Amino acid sequence: MARDLSFLFPELLLASTVVLMLVAEMLRAPRLALAFGLIGLGLSTALTLPLLEADTSVFGGTYRVDLLSGWAKLILLPGTALALLMTRAEIAGKDREGSVYVLLCLVTLGALMLAGGGDMMLLVLGVVLTGLGSFAMVAWPRDDAATEAAMKYLVFGAVTGSVMIYGLTFWFGGAGSTLFSELGALQDKPLIALAGLVAVLIGLGYKAALVPFQFWAPDAYDGAPVSVAAFLSVITKVAAIFAFAQVLRDLPVATGWPVVVALIAAVTMTFGYLAALVQSNVVRLLAYSSVAQAGYFMLGIVALGTSPLALPSVIVFGAAYVAMNLGAFAVIMVAGRDLDDFKGFGRARPVIGVAMVVFLLSLTGIPPLFGFVGKVLLFGAAIEAGYLWLAVIGILNSVLALAVYLRIVVPMYQAREGEAVRAEVALPLLVVLGATALVTALMGLFAGVFPG
Amino acid sequence: MPLLSISVFLPLLGGLLLMALPNRSARIAHGVSIATTGLTFLVTLAIWARGTLPGGFAQVEEIAWIPAIGAAYRLGIDGLSLPLIVLTSLLFFLSAIYAARITDRPAVFVALMLMLETASIGTFAALDALLFYVFFEVSLVGMYFMIVGWGYEERQRAGLMFFIYTLLGSLPLLLAIIGLYLATGTFDMRLWIETPPLTGLAAMLALIAMLFTFAVKIPSFPVHTWLPAAHVQAPTVGSVILAGVMLKFGTYGLVRFALQMTPDAFARAGLVVLAFGVFSALYGAFVALAQSDLKKMIAYTSVNHMGYVVIGVSVAALTLDPDLRAVALNGATLQMVSHGIVTGALFFLVGMLQSRAHSREMADFGGLLGQVPWLGWAFILSAFASLGLPGLAHFPAEFQIFLATLNAQPWAIVAIIAIVVTAGLYLRAIAAVFLGERNEKWAAMPDLDRGEMLAIVPLLVLIIVIGVAPSWLLNMIDATMRALQF
Repeated sequence: MARDLSFLFPELLLASTVVLMLVAEMLRAPRLALAFGLIGLGLSTALTLPLLEADTSVFGGTYRVDLLSGWAKLILLPGTALALLMTRAEIAGKDREGSVYVLLCLVTLGALMLAGGGDMMLLVLGVVLTGLGSFAMVAWPRDDAATEAAMKYLVFGAVTGSVMIYGLTFWFGGAGSTLFSELGALQDKPLIALAGLVAVLIGLGYKAALVPFQFWAPDAYDGAPVSVAAFLSVITKVAAIFAFAQVLRDLPVATGWPVVVALIAAVTMTFGYLAALVQSNVVRLLAYSSVAQAGYFMLGIVALGTSPLALPSVIVFGAAYVAMNLGAFAVIMVAGRDLDDFKGFGRARPVIGVAMVVFLLSLTGIPPLFGFVGKVLLFGAAIEAGYLWLAVIGILNSVLALAVYLRIVVPMYQAREGEAVRAEVALPLLVVLGATALVTALMGLFAGVFPG
Repeated sequence: MPLLSISVFLPLLGGLLLMALPNRSARIAHGVSIATTGLTFLVTLAIWARGTLPGGFAQVEEIAWIPAIGAAYRLGIDGLSLPLIVLTSLLFFLSAIYAARITDRPAVFVALMLMLETASIGTFAALDALLFYVFFEVSLVGMYFMIVGWGYEERQRAGLMFFIYTLLGSLPLLLAIIGLYLATGTFDMRLWIETPPLTGLAAMLALIAMLFTFAVKIPSFPVHTWLPAAHVQAPTVGSVILAGVMLKFGTYGLVRFALQMTPDAFARAGLVVLAFGVFSALYGAFVALAQSDLKKMIAYTSVNHMGYVVIGVSVAALTLDPDLRAVALNGATLQMVSHGIVTGALFFLVGMLQSRAHSREMADFGGLLGQVPWLGWAFILSAFASLGLPGLAHFPAEFQIFLATLNAQPWAIVAIIAIVVTAGLYLRAIAAVFLGERNEKWAAMPDLDRGEMLAIVPLLVLIIVIGVAPSWLLNMIDATMRALQF
């Protein structure tokens, strides 16, 4: 018991932080809640470092403390801290400000459950914990758009969640255990394996916004505050991808699941970028772009069990994605939600303009930016697993991606009619922009620190 | 001293320094630009002085980068890359001198140009495939912003076309690189060259991917359509760099990657590549003949000249005679250098003409030789070089290419018709612009000023030196090409 708990220090610390933040919010002290949150996230990150080499599981194999969950903490906890700062910049001084901070950290706790889960029950717990907090955050502005978006999100989440639980019972029946590590027993029960796989694809695919479970994403992102949209597009998505990795690496490849996932990946990438191509609202554009990015993640998932590059590729691209997507959303907070708001933005604000170009080119996968390193590893993993056609589709989609992101870059350097209004950029937002830009621009050069 | 790394990153440092300066006026920006590119040129001369090794790479510099996947920072040179590196640093130096007249956001322009120089030298010097790809793509981004930011009327469309075309073009190379990596577990290009890792179908697929990438960059028919648009809309300096340096990425890659890493597949596909080369050379010449826009015309002659390089490389792949191979590759490599110098000069001169007259239409001019003798004679000399007149830079290169072709694949010699066509089109252009009836509209046109002289005269001198006595350059190229294993 004590041994098990000692491996869970980061998670326990985060849970206690959430409680403290709740108390602070009850005292109507949002800044205190924010401070608690930032300190708690920082300390949890630090506590993760000594556990990074661990490769074990606790509580009877239900929760894994391994490479994937370790890096999940290193990526998601600082990512949440940045999201907190963005939220502060957006909603400072508004009513119920602190409750958003609490929910952010609570959802992140759920995200860690997803990324470390070694058991079906824990998977369900993670899905529910991330879901409940997210619904509330999307509904936070209390206007029509937000309410509608949250309703859609909630209904869709409830349905997919129930389907997932239902499907998981097949696996439980087939394998005789709720542990993922026992899934090998499904080796020669392809139908049962398939039933459970479909369930997991629905439940986690909804979280990761894979096609065809992506409908909620553009509405939810657009209805929510931009910072919450950024958080949802990054933290819950990466957590769902890591959960995919935890589940599927134990499922025998012979059941044919990689083909199903590969098809979904191909459709997701292509649909995401095609839909993004016609958006005029930048938040919706980035929503569809993050749908497509989820498809790229699946290139690594497909290769699980057949390529040693699979896990590193998902981890590296996860880190890159968190940095560049948060950064792009942070720039939207400065510039505005409409594509027209970006006209002349690069000339009016040269430094933030360059940062945006870096984020977008990294999302496209232009070297030597961080996103490129992740994509190379993803392509390598897929090719090594024998999915050359999928890598080719991914590469063709990179061109589509360029067209999508240039739709933002090109107007940025056109002349703007009328006087540009230069509002002051809040300090927390500047911190976020600086940190994400540095990571996106330079981490590609120091990719050696990641596992491989 | 790691001179190679210095030459690669010195420009970038200059650009960063400029961005950090509080005062970024045009004077200071161009001062930094000329000083940095000049210094870089001197460093590459020092690299030249250190020399190459026959067979294998010299002056190798290596630092770990992503050890987990065998990617490292590896630089090195041989007789193929060194001339191109020196050519690059020279053209950037001269471009920096010429660009000193740019007043629209000069600091940003200079920073972009310096970034482009880092990417260009890095592309030629990289010995790690991933690093090569990084530099290769960064150059794309730099050129895109240069066209979009400082180009002419249609710059947005041309820039977008250039970016999407070449990005789509370069991604297959990434696939090929990943394929080679998975076969060896390293990105070390030296290992891939020493023992080509792929065989059979895999090698052929990798070759096709590479050929696609480099054909776009070269550019070869039928994927050349981005070139005229990009060239015509790019600012003068952009055109010079695009034609003088960036097209060489394609031909350099054709030798370094396609020929050296998948030699057997290249030998099998050689006839097809040769046919594309021949057709490109002819097509480029005939389409250039049809142009009335000077810049477009020169852009299409690039398709023609690069076609000769493709011919040379594929002839080398098809023949087994080592002497003939060396002759063909020597010609191809020298052709890259000559084209950089000659076409660089031509784009400078057209740019100078355009900045005076705001027109590139041949029909708008006439009898300019008496009005602007320096500009006129410089153009005539460069044009004669470009059409392959003996004693000027293109002649020794094209002579060797055709010599090898005639011995190995006699039918391909039909490409020589293109030389006649180029001669015709240049004579027509000279007659239309510089000879004949004097157009009084341009009576006040000034001749070259000092800055323009400084930019153009070194190129003219080199055109004559390489034409008359190419051996100082050819000996080094030859030593490498004879030892080339494939």
